[in-house]
Amino acid sequence: MAKIAFVAGLDAEPCTGCRLCDIVCPSGAISMERRKAVIDDDACIGCGRCVDRCPEDIMWMTPRSEPLTKTVSLSDVDAAAVDALLLRAGLDADVSVCVCTLTPASEIAAAVVKGATTLEQVSEMTGMRSGCGIYCVAPALRLLHAAGADMTPPRGHRWYPCTVALWDLPAEVTERYPDSFVEVDRAAFDPAGRFTALDDNAQP
Amino acid sequence: MTTVPSPPHFMPSVYGPPPRPHVAGLPDMTSVSVQELFPSIGPAIYTNHLDDLDAVRAATRDALEHVDMSRIDVDDSVNVLASEHGFGMMGGWAYAEMIKTIREVVVARTGCRDVRLRLAIYRGFHEADEVRDHFGFDEAFDGKVKGLGPFDRGVAVDTVVGRMYLVNRAFDAAKFIHAYYDDPREMYFNRLLYKSFKSFCMSYARFETRSVYHSLFGSRSGSVIPRALFDSEFIQQRYAFSSVLRTSPAGVTGIDATTDLYAIDRRITASHLATYGRMQRLFQEIDHCVAVWDGGRWGYYLHAGGLIFGTLLTNHHDSFDLDAPVVAGFLQVPDAPVNFSRNKALRGIVVNQAWVGAGIPYVTMPFTSPMYIVGDEQAQLWREDPANPHLAARATVVPTVEDGIRLAMANGGTDRVIVFDGSYGNITCNPEMANHLRERAPDVDRLVAEQLLPKWLAQRGLA
Repeated sequence: MAKIAFVAGLDAEPCTGCRLCDIVCPSGAISMERRKAVIDDDACIGCGRCVDRCPEDIMWMTPRSEPLTKTVSLSDVDAAAVDALLLRAGLDADVSVCVCTLTPASEIAAAVVKGATTLEQVSEMTGMRSGCGIYCVAPALRLLHAAGADMTPPRGHRWYPCTVALWDLPAEVTERYPDSFVEVDRAAFDPAGRFTALDDNAQP
Repeated sequence: MTTVPSPPHFMPSVYGPPPRPHVAGLPDMTSVSVQELFPSIGPAIYTNHLDDLDAVRAATRDALEHVDMSRIDVDDSVNVLASEHGFGMMGGWAYAEMIKTIREVVVARTGCRDVRLRLAIYRGFHEADEVRDHFGFDEAFDGKVKGLGPFDRGVAVDTVVGRMYLVNRAFDAAKFIHAYYDDPREMYFNRLLYKSFKSFCMSYARFETRSVYHSLFGSRSGSVIPRALFDSEFIQQRYAFSSVLRTSPAGVTGIDATTDLYAIDRRITASHLATYGRMQRLFQEIDHCVAVWDGGRWGYYLHAGGLIFGTLLTNHHDSFDLDAPVVAGFLQVPDAPVNFSRNKALRGIVVNQAWVGAGIPYVTMPFTSPMYIVGDEQAQLWREDPANPHLAARATVVPTVEDGIRLAMANGGTDRVIVFDGSYGNITCNPEMANHLRERAPDVDRLVAEQLLPKWLAQRGLA
């Protein structure tokens, strides 16, 4: 669960339509209309990245009158589907995927089960990426990948499909890097041997 | 031996409050020399001040003299890749001097004129401009300076571990030079396992690659990612050589430069286990204290005696013991999770001055360690920081740093204060902490020399 305390705003008149704010927006809250940025307040998760990025310095953050709560409740989705997705992705339910908002893998998986098919939708639904916007991305992409989402990168380098995990590495990696600790880490983090490589050919 | 604390000056930034006087100037502050604590740590050629930069320049020239630069043709374009954290070491001037000298030597040796600087930053879009202006890089590089960060356009790189994404701007030249530093920094994450390669999956990489490295691998197995990137055809076709600013807790010890990054890494690892290894173990002997953030970087990355604050925060485990699966990290051993944002010895943290914006991994720290922010203006920065949504609400705002230290000590029941103000060569602290460190250092010295260092070296094939 993320409490979103701020919302982005801008002075549209001097906006040049460069789209840099749009590209760095994690939740797809910014769109372009007549070459001017437009912000969807409800979709904005208050990360402030657009304000920092804007080369014209015409954007700002303002406190919301009431914090906006972004969360997907596990009780709203099929628990078995969430568990199956986590297993397929090789993620433990309780691990904090977004360590800024402390959003666990189970909630990200629930967002995917609930219908999110893009990283932007996952971020908008859960509030993940409202902090640093960096370290939560691969697990979220991996859950989308495991659910069979289209991993074609969107226009404008918003994100790239990079989801390699410990469970995926082929034997040639450990042969080339015998001190890679791949096998011992697999045994430490998954002693029951539940996780396997993500197989694109298997049906989600 | 008591030395006058003299932390480095630092770069003003939009990501932090206006610079304030250092805590080191308070009348009840002192400092303890790292070489007094550990005589085996040799002297430095540069510590915290500008007057020794000639030594850094000379060391860079000496190191580069024997480097094979035949991979650089006269008509090539060459990117010198610099990483942001080097500018947080001792005020950043030594790293900047190495970078400027690299350009001069490359131009003189190869005849290549198109030598550009690429400044890899963490995540703030103004960081690179601030660094460029503060250190005079436009003048040194004829204006050929650009920043790059994790949100910039990527380039796909196929590696033995799969396809990764680096930042295109880092590699928009025919060749590149890996201009690095050896700050062990987050040794609880990198475990000093091929640390010299880390920028290939962090500074030079898109956020997806950084996330894979940190979130989908353990802190030991993650070391395969930067190596796979470095060894990729994409990188090897462009790689010219490496030049690394070498340090110990005493300060800059020299420059190591060669085309063989693996050889540099082995030398750094062996040296660091002996020097930073002692300091890390000494931090584990601090059983109660108040810490002060007092510098011009993110609080987590501010140095005291060459070690960052994060080392104190995570000193619940031996970072260098590779038998431990986790010291800090996202993947956890079932039934034995490690809360790496908690150090029970840390009875309070006083924020005199530090940048906001780097939430990880101290987002949960305010839940367990009381925090005291000096001044409402600075507190407002934290209230508006989405990367730390819990910090400001849980912190106490105090009018002065003296008030913060006094309150933290009283509430925490400790008489010891350690200050993270960017210092190498010494630790700024109060007399009680200085006495404690002096008392514990001899036992730590013996423990590391006789037991820990042999094990750490053997675990890395360096015995």
